[in-house]
This record gives sequence, C-alpha cells and structure tokens, in this order.
Amino acid sequence: MLTFIAKRLLSGVITIWFIATATFFAMHAVPGDPLTQEKAMSPVVRAQLEARYGLDKPLIEQYQLFLSNMLHGDFGISFTQENRKVNDIIREHFPISAILGITAVLIALVGGVSAGTVAAYYRNRWPDRMVMVAVIAAISVPGFVIAGLAQLTIVAMNNAAGKTLLPVAGWGGVSHIWVPALVLGLGTMAYLSRIMRASMLEVLSADYNMAAKAKGVHGWRLFWHHQLRNAVLPVVTELGPTIAGVTTGGFVVELIFAIPGLGRYFVQAVQQLDYTVIMGTTVFYGAFLVLVVVVVDISYGLIDPRIRLHSGGGGR
Amino acid sequence: MSLLKLESLQVSIGPVQAVRDVSLSLAPGECRALVGESGCGKSVTAMSLLSLMPAAAKTNALRWEFAGRDMRQLSERDWRQLRGNEIAMIFQNPMTALDPTQTIGSQIAEPLRIHKGLSKREALNKAIALLERLAIANPAQRAGQYPFEFSGGMLQRAMIAMAVVCEPQLLIADEPTTALDVTVQAEVLSILRELRESSGTAMLFITHDLGVVAEIADSVSVMYAGQTIETGSLADVFSREAHPYTQALKRAVPNMSNPQPLQAIGGTPPDLRHPPTGCGFAARCSERMAICDHLPPSFACDANGKHESRCWLWHPEHPARWREAEQ
Amino acid sequence: MDLSVFRFARRTWASDELEHIAPLPLPKMATPAVVVSTLVVIALLLFVSVGPLLWRQDPSQQWLSQISAGPSAPHSVRLIRDSGPWQPPAGDAPQTLTVHAANTEFVRLQWPKLEGVKRYRVYRASAHKAGLGLAIAETDKAYYQDQLQLSYQIYRYTIADADTGFLLLARDVRPEAAMSLFEAQLQGLLPVDKVSGRQQWLDLPGHPLGTDALGRDMLARLMAGGRTSLFVGVVAPLLYITFGCIFGAIAGLAGGWVDQLAMRFVDFVVALPFLLFMILFRVAFGIGPGENGITPLIVAMLMLSWPGSARLIRGQVLALRSQPFVEAAKLAGVGTSRTILRHMLPNVLPMILVAFSFAIPQAIFTEAFLSFIGMGVSPPTTSWGALCNDGIKTLLSHPRQLLLPALFISISVLAFNLLGDALRDATDRRAGVVKA
Repeated sequence: MLTFIAKRLLSGVITIWFIATATFFAMHAVPGDPLTQEKAMSPVVRAQLEARYGLDKPLIEQYQLFLSNMLHGDFGISFTQENRKVNDIIREHFPISAILGITAVLIALVGGVSAGTVAAYYRNRWPDRMVMVAVIAAISVPGFVIAGLAQLTIVAMNNAAGKTLLPVAGWGGVSHIWVPALVLGLGTMAYLSRIMRASMLEVLSADYNMAAKAKGVHGWRLFWHHQLRNAVLPVVTELGPTIAGVTTGGFVVELIFAIPGLGRYFVQAVQQLDYTVIMGTTVFYGAFLVLVVVVVDISYGLIDPRIRLHSGGGGR
Repeated sequence: MSLLKLESLQVSIGPVQAVRDVSLSLAPGECRALVGESGCGKSVTAMSLLSLMPAAAKTNALRWEFAGRDMRQLSERDWRQLRGNEIAMIFQNPMTALDPTQTIGSQIAEPLRIHKGLSKREALNKAIALLERLAIANPAQRAGQYPFEFSGGMLQRAMIAMAVVCEPQLLIADEPTTALDVTVQAEVLSILRELRESSGTAMLFITHDLGVVAEIADSVSVMYAGQTIETGSLADVFSREAHPYTQALKRAVPNMSNPQPLQAIGGTPPDLRHPPTGCGFAARCSERMAICDHLPPSFACDANGKHESRCWLWHPEHPARWREAEQ
Repeated sequence: MDLSVFRFARRTWASDELEHIAPLPLPKMATPAVVVSTLVVIALLLFVSVGPLLWRQDPSQQWLSQISAGPSAPHSVRLIRDSGPWQPPAGDAPQTLTVHAANTEFVRLQWPKLEGVKRYRVYRASAHKAGLGLAIAETDKAYYQDQLQLSYQIYRYTIADADTGFLLLARDVRPEAAMSLFEAQLQGLLPVDKVSGRQQWLDLPGHPLGTDALGRDMLARLMAGGRTSLFVGVVAPLLYITFGCIFGAIAGLAGGWVDQLAMRFVDFVVALPFLLFMILFRVAFGIGPGENGITPLIVAMLMLSWPGSARLIRGQVLALRSQPFVEAAKLAGVGTSRTILRHMLPNVLPMILVAFSFAIPQAIFTEAFLSFIGMGVSPPTTSWGALCNDGIKTLLSHPRQLLLPALFISISVLAFNLLGDALRDATDRRAGVVKA
C-alpha cells in the first residue's frame, strides 16, 4: 500500500511540473504582454517595470526563476493589481470556490448514487424512466443555461412569495450556497447516476447478490454490505475527473451568480492578460486537481481490497 | 416421510416456460441428483426451491411441501428465515458467487449472525472452525482474506462452508463442480460426501455430469425441456434406463469398460417459448410413435413402483407391456 | 382394444422436421430515438446551410427601432421626415389631452393650459402596468414631444402639476410603427442620394423569433451561430481524433520504449485541467483584428483532446496484434501495411466512429462554454454559445434571448448523444458484447 501511495505521489509531482511548464510556455507565447496594453509609457518606466517582473531576463532564466519561486510556494505579484500578491488572491478567493465545489460534489455524489440505485431497482418502470429522462436532459443542457434558468426560477419564486426566499446572486450566508452548488453539481449528478445505474444493474444480476439472498440476507444489510459497496466502485473511479469538471465548471456558475471565487478571478485575469495571476492560478488548480486524483485513487484502494492488496502491481 | 415433496412445479419467466412439470421428492439424508443438459430448467428449479426467482417469474405447483409445511403459503418473511437456515444453496461458480468486497470469514459468518443471532466474534469463530473442518490451512488468517486471494478449489470450499454453516436440512448444490479442475472436483465431491455422512443433510445435486452422479447420488431425476422425464434410484436409472432420452444420454458418455463410439443426440431441444403439445423429446427420439406428437405422456411406474419414466413406451397399454404381462 | 395410438412411427429426425427455433430478436438499430435524432441532425444541418439562403436577413444588421422586440410578421412602417423640435399649430388650445401624432419616432401631445399651474410633469407608463411610470419631462408649456425610446406598444401618458403633484390629465396612446428617414438611409433601406419625396411607407421584414438586445434578427443569428457551432463541433473532433488515432496506432505498433514514452506523454496531457488550458491556449494563440477566433479554438481543442482516442486506438492495436487472425495473416506472409489496412483497420473503425459521435456533442459544449465566457469566437462572428452570452445579460427581462440558442445547443447535443448511443450499441453487438 505504501509503495502504491508513493508511486502515485511521485507521478503527481511530475504531472504538476508538466502543468507548470506548459503554463509557463503557453503564457510566453501570448502575443503582446500586459505592459503594452498600458497607455503610452516612457521607455524608462517600461524598463523599470520589466525589471520588476523579471521580463527583461532571457526566457530560460525566467523559467528557472519561475520554477524555483514556485517551489517556495511564491507565485509573484499581480500585474494589473499592483502590490497584490498572487498567493493572497488565491488564499482569499479559493476557499469560496472550494466550499462551492465540495458542496456541489457532495450533492452530485449523494444524488447520483441514490438516483442511479432507484433507477436500477425499478428497471424499465416509471421511476427508472423518469431518472433517465432527467439524466438526458441534464447532460444535454449546458451549465450556464441551467444557471440562468435557476436564477429565473428564484426570481419568480421570490416575486410570488413577495419576499426574498433565496438570494438571486452574491455570496455570504448559507442560503447563497445551495442553488449555485446544485446547478454546478447537476451535470455531474446526471453522469454519476448513469454510471451508478449500470453498475447497480450489474450487481443486482451478479451471482454474489443471489448467493447473499440465498443465505437469507435481506433488506438494509443486503443493500449496504453487498450491493452498494460493489456498485459504488465505478462511481468512485469517476470521482477524480468529476471533481476536475466541477472545479472548472465553477467558472461559469461563479460568473453568473456573482460569487467572488477563484474561477471568476481567473477568467478576469485571462481577459486582462495578467501573467502572474494566470500562471499562479493555473498551477495551483492543476496541483489541486492532481492531489484530488491521487486522494481518490488511494481511497479507491481502501474500498476495493483487490487494489489495496496488490500494491506491488503499480496501481491501475 | 419425505423432507421435500414437489409435484408438478411450473415456472414461467415472461414468455419462456422454463419449468413445465417437475416432480421431486427427497427423504431426509437422501442425495438426489438432478440431471439434464444446459437450458433444461435445472437451475430455475433450484432457484424456485429457494423462491429466488425474479419478480417477472410466475411459479405454480400442485403440491410443494418441505418439512411438513406447505411452501406455497409462505410469505416473503418466512422465506427469508428459511433461506440459508433450513435450505441452503451452493452456487456453480465460486469465483463470482462470493462478494469481492467482503472477507471470506465475514461471508461465512453472515448466516449465523442473521439466523442464529450470534455476535460478530462468535460467528467468526464458528466460521473459522468450519474452515478448519473443511481442511483449509491457517483458517484464522484465511478468514480475514478476500475472495480474490483464494484459489478456485478453496473458494468452493468457502462457498460450501457458507451454505452448511447453519446446518440446513436441505442443501441444493447447483453444479458445484462444473467450474473446477478435475482434481479439485474430486476434492469437493469428497468434502460434500463427508458432510452428508456426518450431518445427515439431504442434498439436491444438480449436474450434467453423469460421472459425478454415479459418485455421489442415491437417486436420480432426469430433466428434459422443463420436465422430469425419469426418476429412480441410481441403479434403476443408470443400469435400467427407461426413457429414450436417458438411453441416448448414456450413449453419449464414454464408457471405459465397454468402449464404443460415442453418439451425439441429434437435433436441438424445443423452444420453451412455444413448447410442443406432445412429448418434448419426440422430435429427437428414435422410438417416436404417432401418439408422441399429440399427447404428453404421463409417468408410468415399472414393477417396483419407484422407477418412473414419462414415456409412452412404458404405458401399460403399449404392446410391449402387453406382451410382458402375457408372459 | 384399439391400439392404433401405439402404431410404431419411427422416423429418424431430419433437419426440416426440427422445431424451428426463431432467433431471439436483436434490438433493432432503427429505434424511434435513433430515427428522431437522425432527423433532428439532418434538420439542424439544413437549418444552418440552407436556412441562410431562404432567410436572407443580415445577422449583424441592427434594427434600432426594434430592440429586444418579440416575434413579428413583415410589416410596413411610416417613414418620418420631420423629426425635430415641434410646436403645436397656432389656434385654439384643446379641451383635453390631445395627441397630434403618435408613432414610434415621436408622440406629440398638447393639453389645455390650466389656471394656477406653472409647470407640468409628463409621466409615461406601459398601459398594461399600474402606476404612473417614468417621469419623462417637466415643462412650463402646454405641449410636449416624446422621443424617448418608443416602442410598438400602448402607452399611458399622465400630466401632473409639477409643484403640487396633482394628477391633471391622462390618456392611452398607441404609437404607429415608424422609422425616420435618417435611420432608413443609415441601414441602407433607402438610397441616400435620391429619395422619392412622396414615399410615405417603408416595408420592413418580419422577425419570426424576435430581435436581440441590439435589435438584430434572432433567426438569422441562430443560423449564423449554428454554422460556427456545428463547424467547430464536427471539424475539431475530426482533427483531434485523426491525430489521436495516428499517435495511438504508432505507439501500439511500435511497442517497446516508443510506446512507453508516448503513453507517459499521453498521461501528462490528460492530467492538464481541460477547460483551464483551453482558455490558456486559446489566449496564447491569440486573435488578430478581423479574425473570427475559430482557428485558435480548434487548435486548442486539438492540443488537449487527442489523448482519449490515442489511448483507445493503442489499446485496440495491442489487443488486435495478439489476435489469432492477425498473427495468422503475419504467418501467411502478409506485409505490415496490408495487415494494418485489411485486418486491423476494419476492426478499429467502428470504435473510432463511436468515439467521433460522442466527441461532437462534447466539442459543441466546449465551444459554447468558451464563447459564453467570452473566450470563444469574436464578433461579428457568432455562435450559439456567444448568443447565450448575449442573452444572459437580458435574462430577467427577455429570457427568450438566452433560451433560444440554449435550446439549439441542447437539441443538437441530445441528438448527437442519442446517435452515439445507438452506434455504440450496434458495435458492441457486433463485437459480441452483451450490455446489462
């Protein structure tokens, strides 16, 4: 098990390096830089600014500097917002995105697993059909449209009630979280319930399910010990990429619901060509996602004994 | 006094009449083999005996008694208390019939916890003791392992342990040796034989392997196209086979003492969505008569009243019987 | 005793006398869902290709008099020439609130001078809403010309005493549809140099789906946007799946360290957070002035999306290489290229097709997402995603402007997904895989 974790961590570190490098060179291939966008600037001022951000050095040196700074956890200073450190921006805005994302993933996980289970139990009957239609709808409608519709619904609800039942946008109390998180998690929920339905159907027709029934196992015990634990495995494998999807999908939800998360900040930074913020957030997000995938892999091992005990096999 | 008395069981799954007319009876401690080719309804019969058919299946029987109870009247609640406790089942493929995410020990202990109300510790100790009886080395350590760490033979022993742990009165073994190597087969058979001798459990042994039948069974029922077509003691069915299907089956098995070219049975079994009106075997039968196509034969007993065959050849008014009677 | 029933009827079985076993009906390819989705895809393609030929409105033309207007049929509008300062004709003051002219360019009102009132305040409201509405002017004269963003609906004008707030007079007015000569010339509806002085009416085309927040015809924009969306949706997957297949096939066929290296690289590319890098690459490739931004979009997708098909093909090639029929072909002395073309390609092709049909909705989604956050195509080129971006700004007042393009995205994604499902089922069946 330890070898397994060590291997996963090592490949994670290499992946983060790859992400950082790709980000760095992609950013330096951008035509124009943030300084040229500024209004007429005297050569002296420009040179000063370039020196401050290290833009005057050769590319390789900049790259080395970037990597070493990154190792120390320092992403530099924002271009457009003077004197604001990228670290501070991340520290301030990421927790908001994280809360939103975690809530969304939890909603998606719980909703997806239960909907998938219900659909499998009532295969080809009306609960199954309803779930599948909802799944197809949720997969086919883009997230930003769902977000817009959710806002319209809230407005209509508030109008009908004559008072503010739920806030339309913004960030603050608990009431601000639910609707954006639900919107964010909806697509994932649909995806997970599809996987869950298929795997639960497989479990329901599996020999060990029959054997458990033949032993007299029934009800909750049958579901919890024999069905759920086996059926949830494919869902857990999908969780890593899913979290990636939810985090990046967060951009749009943050934009539409005016939530001051890191995603909204990232989009803004890209529009303003804010080098350091873009690089910082991308590498940070990348590292975060790699970490999530590693954690999911390890937790998968905890659920599935076949992986836990085959640590020498080098993972999947 | 018989333990299980089943008369004219019928099971249909959607349009398929998987079991059309199966009659079985088992005395306490008896081992009966249920023989037939694949798709003849053996496994459906076994599953029905535990009432484990999918919701779409319809089950019907003229008479169905187990240990003096009318099984047709049982509620799902009664069934749950019965399964694994009084009737247990050994599945065909131990690789897929054990839950991959649970330890062997907890799976064997599970029936004890459900039916006997034992604590986790007690149940596990009993499971370990049972594994030891079934000749598994290091039972305490093995009990903590997962199915994928076991070999096929050991898995089947674990499966058997799971079935017998509550000391059921009836054990249904659905082709327990088919998925195993020949050497492991012998091992599993000897374990089953020992268990029977020591605990006196009645056993319904389902197989298509006549060699295995000869080794373990006291009596045999032969199934074809959803019907039991011949029933009798091992000696009756094996040496005085009465139904043309049983005869054909025997000709298809290699015989060491009297080597002859093997003969396959021509044709295919009938489509059970539209079973034939007459005898199910008529289309493939070498003894076919005019009546076979039109009327299903009923059981006719031979002299000792135990050996039954569902074939018109054994009807008392068939010329051969007539002549026998004259002599 | 009649024994005829036991008359011996021995006949050996013959094949024609056997029970005829009907094969189990295979799930049919042409299920209603497949038929419907195929028709939908064809309809969408026709909509974006033939549509603009039939519906010849310029998607970027702004109808300033019809901003965010609802669906309308073709109609005529009055041509207004004299839109300037206005005074009521001299003569008797009217007895009540009088409308001298009412059209969407101006509404001219006159009312009797009232004793003791020094200043009048004019309110305007939509007739179907309660309340006074907007205070549009204060004047000491007894007349007013309203030129403030009039649209084709019924208004209620109310005159009040500006000092005391007493309501004096009120009246409902229905302005006639009109357009000023200047605007007509600006939009090229009338020649600038020679205008017939007698022309009173101007024929305007209808907008079956209304107009957007800049007064552009929605139907024409949906057609133009669909072109971009479907183009990106088909071309990008075509490119990256081709690239991925070649990459994967080379890795699988070469084997050894080439394969190892290639697959490590694939692992890294897969680990890149997709949308983040889509945005990054999209910015890195940049767009110059006058470019539509489609090429950088496709290139960015190509760079990030190929690993999926590369993995798929490599796995298939590895599996096929050890298949008996491929080894048999090799033993029979069939050349490498022939083995690949004749024996491997036909086995991989269905899988590629399935991957392709699932990649299309994915690409449509990605394009819509990027255009929505303003990182996709750049104006004047539009796409369904960009239309959604326009529409979300007026979501609360005119939800139609978001819902229409969203509907098109959803329908096309749904149709392609259903087709992909059917295609996958068909290939699974061919490969003998039975789905649960």
